[in-house]
Amino acid sequence: MKREVTKRVKITAKGSKNRKETRELTLMSLPAIIWYGLFCYLPLFGIFFAFKHFTPRPGESLFKNLFINSPWAGLSNFSFLLRSSDMPGIIFNTLFYNIIFLAAGIVIPVFLAIFLVELHGKHLSGLVQMVTVLPYFLSYVIVGYCVYGFLATDEGQINHLLKMFGSNAIQWYQSPGYWRFILIITEIWKSTGYSMVIFLCAITAIDRTLYESAMLDGARFMERVRHITIPLLRPTISTIFILRIGSILSSDFGLFYQVPLDSNSLQSVTQTLDVYVYKALMQQANFSYSAAASFLQSVVGCILLVGANLIIKRIDEDSSLG
Amino acid sequence: MKEKAHDNYNPEGYVRPEDSAYSKSQNRVAATLFILLSLLVFLPILLVFIVSVSSQDSVTAAGYSFFPRELSLDAYRYIFRSGGYMARAFFNSVFITICGTSLGLFLMCPLAYAISREEFHFRKPLLIFLMIPMIFSGGLVASYMVNTQILHLKNDYFALILPGLCSTWYIMILRNYFKSSVPEALIESAKLDGGRHIQIFRLIVLPIAKPVVMTVAVFQMFAYWNSWYPSLLYLDSNHTELYPLQYVLVNMEKSIEAITKNAQYLSGMTGYTPPSVTIRMAMVVVVILPVMILFPFFRRFLKTGMTVGAVKE
Repeated sequence: MKREVTKRVKITAKGSKNRKETRELTLMSLPAIIWYGLFCYLPLFGIFFAFKHFTPRPGESLFKNLFINSPWAGLSNFSFLLRSSDMPGIIFNTLFYNIIFLAAGIVIPVFLAIFLVELHGKHLSGLVQMVTVLPYFLSYVIVGYCVYGFLATDEGQINHLLKMFGSNAIQWYQSPGYWRFILIITEIWKSTGYSMVIFLCAITAIDRTLYESAMLDGARFMERVRHITIPLLRPTISTIFILRIGSILSSDFGLFYQVPLDSNSLQSVTQTLDVYVYKALMQQANFSYSAAASFLQSVVGCILLVGANLIIKRIDEDSSLG
Repeated sequence: MKEKAHDNYNPEGYVRPEDSAYSKSQNRVAATLFILLSLLVFLPILLVFIVSVSSQDSVTAAGYSFFPRELSLDAYRYIFRSGGYMARAFFNSVFITICGTSLGLFLMCPLAYAISREEFHFRKPLLIFLMIPMIFSGGLVASYMVNTQILHLKNDYFALILPGLCSTWYIMILRNYFKSSVPEALIESAKLDGGRHIQIFRLIVLPIAKPVVMTVAVFQMFAYWNSWYPSLLYLDSNHTELYPLQYVLVNMEKSIEAITKNAQYLSGMTGYTPPSVTIRMAMVVVVILPVMILFPFFRRFLKTGMTVGAVKE
């Protein structure tokens, strides 16, 4: 039926009609194309910031300042950036948090989803999903204040408990030692519910008869999880894995800037590349280093994304991103 | 096989009790554990709520506690008495959210329709055009410089609205839905009747695709309501009249100062100390509350949006 219709259209379609259709459709997409041009493609030339010593002269246009007034720097921006004293720590932080978030962001939600899906009664399951997903839809500013409620030095809930049990209060926002842990807990709190719903949906899409026949063969619950659920979740898991690997050098700016309330004494454990990119630009006006750091993020992310996809394609065709 | 799998598929994320691996007593244990987990997740938000309605004295004595000694709406009274400051911020947030959402849909939907049509000559190049920014971007410096120096987006609403309008991800969700859920025959017959694409899109495709359009709209709304990074980049500290709520919270100390000054000025009580520790949390509640109220209504759309692309065909 469908083929018949399209065939007929193809026969009646003349060049002029096609051209008219193309014009209409182009016109419809034009506003968005202009937006992409201005906000995505125009800034692409900014890659040059990373390869120039940006020396703007006041009153001249950005392009003239960047391309004519600024001398080429070659790769010196990158070498200075990578040799600066806090860079190893920043890169370590970025990788450290991302690897932990990657692992925790898959293991915990999958685990919870496997047990949640068996729950009787859809209302309870729906309620659990709704509550656990809520933090995902709060901004990191709000999350920062939720954390503050516990950690504030004078009024914080935790310091009050500590005092009640006779210990000394801790200056949380001045003690970097705890913050790796705090940030990890915060991130898990914020994003676990969301991933759990995704995995839950993937699990409910699994053919239930597989479980029934496994049950007839005497497979226990954990065996069914191991041999049916996990293997069938693999495509979903690897999709998430590939996308996360692609942003391994990026981090959520809000988590590392706003949740520690931009506290200077926590910098050693909270500064990631995104925070550096922001601070280099807005606080130090160091355009070249900031651009070089973004460029590294983009390039490394791109390579890892393509690489991870290729490797996963080798192992299991179905699990890759096409 | 595939047919069967689809039969059993239920988007609610639960199985029938008779299919479940849990016995009745196991289910009771699991249910309790999950209820405890939900409570645990909700606690930090609850704490903010409770503190916002505690009295200043109670907080000074017992800290931010789940069990305040005395309840009081002082913080809220103070915020409302501060006159324009919070009301203006609230208006800014609502305005930015509404403009950003509707403008974004206005740009994305027609484009998504165009690239969902097989007969569109530029479909493939456009797809690549949309994909490239997903993988590669010019970075913060470049977009900041372009936005401020070439497009002159600084210290106005446009700076907060325009940069976040479109997302390739949403365009793809819309396109896939237009492609799979709108019957091709319907569009073809409308075309044979002489309908133009813009009419077909408006009168046939959009009404059918309402669920997915709503889904994208809801996600955009949350994104704009929660956005504060553009304010951090593009608003100077002397333009407080443009601050959305989220950014008022980022500048909490300054905001409390502004509110107290206003309130003292308006009420003439210069000696009165403001409930500054509870005001903080009351302002957070003002931001969370709309999200919490709308959340149950948007649940269906949120779920659709979250699970799109999770289940691979």
